[in-house]
Amino acid sequence: MNALVASGPLDAVKTIIMLAVACVLLYLAIVKKFEPLLLLPIAFGMLLTNLPMLDNSSAIMMHTEYFTDPQYLVDGQYVDVGFVCRHGGLLDLLYLGVKLGIYPPLIFLGIGCMTDFGPLIANPKSILLGAAAQFGVFFTFVGALVLSALMPSISFGVKEAASIGIIGGADGPTAIYVTKTLAPSLLSAIAVAAYSYMALIPIIQPPFMKLLTTKKMRATVMDQLRPVSKTEKILFPIVVTIVVALIVPDAVSLVGCLMLGNLMKESGVCDRLVKTAQNELMNIITIFLGVTVGATAEASTFLSAQTLGIIALGLIAFCFSTMGGLLLGDLMYVLTKGKVNPLIGSAGVSAVPMAARVSQIVGQKENPSNFLLMHAMGPNVAGVIGSAVAAGVFLSMFSGL
Amino acid sequence: MELSESLLSGVGVHMDEALATGGQVTVIGLFIVFAVLVILMIVLMLFKVFFYKAPSKASAPAAVQESAAAAVPAAAAAEPKPSVPEEDEEELIAVLTAAVAASMNTSTYNLRIKSYRRVPNTRPAWNRAGISDTIGNRF
Repeated sequence: MNALVASGPLDAVKTIIMLAVACVLLYLAIVKKFEPLLLLPIAFGMLLTNLPMLDNSSAIMMHTEYFTDPQYLVDGQYVDVGFVCRHGGLLDLLYLGVKLGIYPPLIFLGIGCMTDFGPLIANPKSILLGAAAQFGVFFTFVGALVLSALMPSISFGVKEAASIGIIGGADGPTAIYVTKTLAPSLLSAIAVAAYSYMALIPIIQPPFMKLLTTKKMRATVMDQLRPVSKTEKILFPIVVTIVVALIVPDAVSLVGCLMLGNLMKESGVCDRLVKTAQNELMNIITIFLGVTVGATAEASTFLSAQTLGIIALGLIAFCFSTMGGLLLGDLMYVLTKGKVNPLIGSAGVSAVPMAARVSQIVGQKENPSNFLLMHAMGPNVAGVIGSAVAAGVFLSMFSGL
Repeated sequence: MELSESLLSGVGVHMDEALATGGQVTVIGLFIVFAVLVILMIVLMLFKVFFYKAPSKASAPAAVQESAAAAVPAAAAAEPKPSVPEEDEEELIAVLTAAVAASMNTSTYNLRIKSYRRVPNTRPAWNRAGISDTIGNRF
């Protein structure tokens, strides 16, 4: 408590507010079950990093300044890994995995092991819905710049705007991967916004789904998907990696790991590796990622008008991504003369498999004998590829600036 | 990409430059995202041409594929009628065997599916609604 008194009453209040925010997030994770696997470590990381400590105490677990303050960086831009290893606390060391871009691709490796691209291969058109649902990402990019022009207290440059926009991809690891490169000081706010809204997808999406489709559209029954051969499932990850690498090289560390995991699964020859990647490895990384991302939430950066801006813009990003997917779904419904149920469009936001379940549930309310789940899985997994490509676009445009 | 100092720092951004740059990035970004996914779509369509052989006996598998979920309880209750199971229906037969075994509380080793056929769904509409409601709640 000495630090609280010594550093002035305002800082003490801020510390107390941050501890309260951490406790609220813990409540949401434990009682309300909002993505608890991530929100709980994130919230506890926030708690750990905001504990009252004496200045320069060796017990401090996280020093955000080592990663953002130019005084500690080599040439003003690169993290001094040696310095962090010598002086950093536990969370500093673990945070290196975020900062060096190790954790998000490894999470994608595990996701690849769990993903079945079969519905997408069977219905190639549905991949376009995964692209349309990235509309919110770019719309929010513009929105963040506009907000910055309107409100003097908020200063989002293009890098911050890109990191906020990518929330609309509804993909936690992708959002973290972009933000740690472009706007590290916003990492905790963006991660919390992304994961909270992902948990809220069953509440956010249905109103738009009803607004942008007619009763008849929602009741559309789609044709049974064709069976997909093992050869196709094995070739798919290889082809995707090559195509993405040719056009958006910056997306390869995410997409490449996703596809490596998927190839390990579909080939059926490395079961042991698949089991590890999708269970133990993924769980370990999730703990490291969650707790360190939470630990970047220091009062000085988190308690600002910017955080409120991010939370508002994140919601806009989700809404517009949903609408983008639905509108293309409507278009496909018209073009195919009623063979595509537009409800699967909203599943184009990646959030696997939550968004696809929402399509299924909303569709079944209209027509109880309709099973849209597998049809919605196509756009859903396409959304993962789509948001990783959008991330690659942002990184290639802005990471060198 | 050429960007002004204010757009990089976010301090003193003007509305017109925000909209101009934002619009430009949106157009380029969405174009690239669509380009990548359209190429993948074309590749997947080629997959279908090269690797997918439509089932030769169009009638029999089509009926089988209609709805596995509906076929399982129906077949379990149905009196079997002769029809020759084909090789690509192995999965369906495995599912049927397991479903029958589960409802009869016995092992699959004690069962041999000789044939199956789809029976019309005679369940009242309210029961159907109840079942889909229960399935929906499990999601």
